[in-house]
Amino acid sequence: MRRFGIIALALLVGSVMGFAAQKITWMSTQFVPIAEAEFIRNQVLAPFAEKTGIQVEFLGAEYAEFSSRIQAEYQAGKGEIAILCGLHGDLAPFAEALSDLKGTPLGGTIPEGLMKLGVIGGHQIYIPLVQATYLMVVNKKALDYLPEGADIWALTYDQLLQWAKNIYEATGEKKLGIPAGPKSLLHRFIHGYLYPSFTGYQVLAFDAGAAVKMWKFMQELWQYVNPAAPTWDAMDTPLLSEEVWIAWDHTARLKQAIIERPDDFIAIPSPAGPAGRGFITVLAGLAIPKTSPDPDAAAKLIEYLTTPEVQVKILQGVGFFPVVAEAAGAVPSGALQILAKGVSAQASSPDAIVSFIPGGISDEYKKIYKDTFFKFVIKGEPVDVKFLRQQATRLRQLYLEADAPYPAPDGS
Amino acid sequence: MNAGLRKLLGTDTLLPYWLLLPTLAFIGVFFLTPLVKAIILAFRSDSGTLTLEYFRRMVADTRFLDALKYTFLLAITIVPIQVVTALAMALLVNTGFKGSRFFLYLFALPLGISDLAAGLIWLSVFTQHGFLNSVLYHLGVIQRPIYFISYQNIGLTFLAVVVAEHWRATAIVMVILVAGLQMISKDYLEAAEVLGARGWKKIWYVILPLLKPSLQSALIIRTIFALQTFAVVLALAGDIIPVLAGEAYFWHFLYHNSHIASAYAVLLMAISIAMTWGYLRFLRSRMEVIRG
Repeated sequence: MRRFGIIALALLVGSVMGFAAQKITWMSTQFVPIAEAEFIRNQVLAPFAEKTGIQVEFLGAEYAEFSSRIQAEYQAGKGEIAILCGLHGDLAPFAEALSDLKGTPLGGTIPEGLMKLGVIGGHQIYIPLVQATYLMVVNKKALDYLPEGADIWALTYDQLLQWAKNIYEATGEKKLGIPAGPKSLLHRFIHGYLYPSFTGYQVLAFDAGAAVKMWKFMQELWQYVNPAAPTWDAMDTPLLSEEVWIAWDHTARLKQAIIERPDDFIAIPSPAGPAGRGFITVLAGLAIPKTSPDPDAAAKLIEYLTTPEVQVKILQGVGFFPVVAEAAGAVPSGALQILAKGVSAQASSPDAIVSFIPGGISDEYKKIYKDTFFKFVIKGEPVDVKFLRQQATRLRQLYLEADAPYPAPDGS
Repeated sequence: MNAGLRKLLGTDTLLPYWLLLPTLAFIGVFFLTPLVKAIILAFRSDSGTLTLEYFRRMVADTRFLDALKYTFLLAITIVPIQVVTALAMALLVNTGFKGSRFFLYLFALPLGISDLAAGLIWLSVFTQHGFLNSVLYHLGVIQRPIYFISYQNIGLTFLAVVVAEHWRATAIVMVILVAGLQMISKDYLEAAEVLGARGWKKIWYVILPLLKPSLQSALIIRTIFALQTFAVVLALAGDIIPVLAGEAYFWHFLYHNSHIASAYAVLLMAISIAMTWGYLRFLRSRMEVIRG
């Protein structure tokens, strides 16, 4: 009798509390490190609870746990997870377990180019939340040499060549910088920027005619790249020492330069080639499982997280860039604002070709892109179609061996 | 301890082996086990079949020939220069003039610096806006910086690596030679002087032949280390100058294929063994001629 009483009391208290404060669970593969998770809980979710009365329990998870949980809840037909956050590659495999979010109210405007990345099989399976990318940072001194008619916010590769050439002819120095050291992210530049910009694909056109033209262009461009490039892993140092005035790299590897001298640099979108403006977006998005116990509360959280203020807060707290167009203008001045402006301009370019990072295949693909670059561009050997074909075969073999799909833009 | 064991430990014949045991255990755990594992990785695929596929792919790699070439070029260039300089340094220190100890410590200083740090130190000397360019510019020798580290001027980059390696690793050769010099009995030197051999003659006919065992050890150690040169090259020349040890590192840590990385390691080991064997044979026969 006594035990029954305790259970009844517990049930009563539980239901009263549940009634007073709506409670949902948010599982995420992002913001997992303790400092980041604490930031999300205290700085992002606590104000949300105050505003809406919805308590969100943030649950950081490794991918293995994340995927098995989604799978299990979907198969059981009911679940506890109300909302999910993951990279594109984390969410895409579970398209059929996720609700169509078309028409979900948002707190800001997400560019069409980013929104459509979340569309799989005609359904909006996730809403983009934050992004990371690679772009160019330019010393303002270089602006004097910009070729006539070139728009710094919509540069082409031909204009970049002319620009670097102008600087070389005026100063005698090679001021263009591309990180080509052993631990650089050069492979990202090749598969996510050059290839899509010149051929429209990162895998499918590896040995196409357009690729031959691309490599020949790179040989020409390389004449104006600082010859120490193969020793650089990150471009912040050469930018600060002014060994280069124009540099491409990951935002995290450029940030330090702008933090130290925010008045000297601007961040601009990567150039466009004949096929469009190829660039990589590392995109994290929000999804609602079909088994979500409270889809309405989850939708409210999505609206809240996509407001410019919250997007800016996340940028300041964990360094991921906003996806909402209005957020770029809301970042307080300083290094982050300069970078955010560049990231936003790149993401909303009308000629954007968004590339994803290959997932699930052997890291050897990096070597295939880098070795080809090394041979044709750094060593300057004539562009050899037979070699390109050989490398292309090996690259496709890596995807075959892993039974992995080609990443965007090839796969979309 | 029972009497039997004490007897066993106490016997003159077995005691040395007991004393060697910790060293043997150390070598077994930290050298032999990884060595055997690397060899297995290089020859056996994940499915367990024996294969030469990893060596085939290593040789077919676009960077392999360059890496092989530069590894040998570096060893061939660095080792002789180092031995000559180290000999000069050792002779200087060994003369025992006032303040010679100071030079010993000065020369040995780079020994305490890790090779990657040494590479970075020299990088700050040779970069476009580095110390060397600054000095040359202020002296009016150059109008604009020289690209010492440049894929377009591999010769200069190579020279920078040689200078850095020379600075970093000559001391180890010197230490071995100083030890060797101190083992040479004064009697020989006094006898030589009495018989009229001075200066170069004394060095050439008395000291060098007696120093040969130390030279041999120094050469073997330095050559093996030169073949493994990696961190200095990585820091100074990045991807401009590929070397075998670097390729092994990249295959393992960047491309996550330990099979091919191990193939490189096995190749390096084979070259090292061949070189050591060469030194032992070459230098021994010469010594016998001298003794005879």
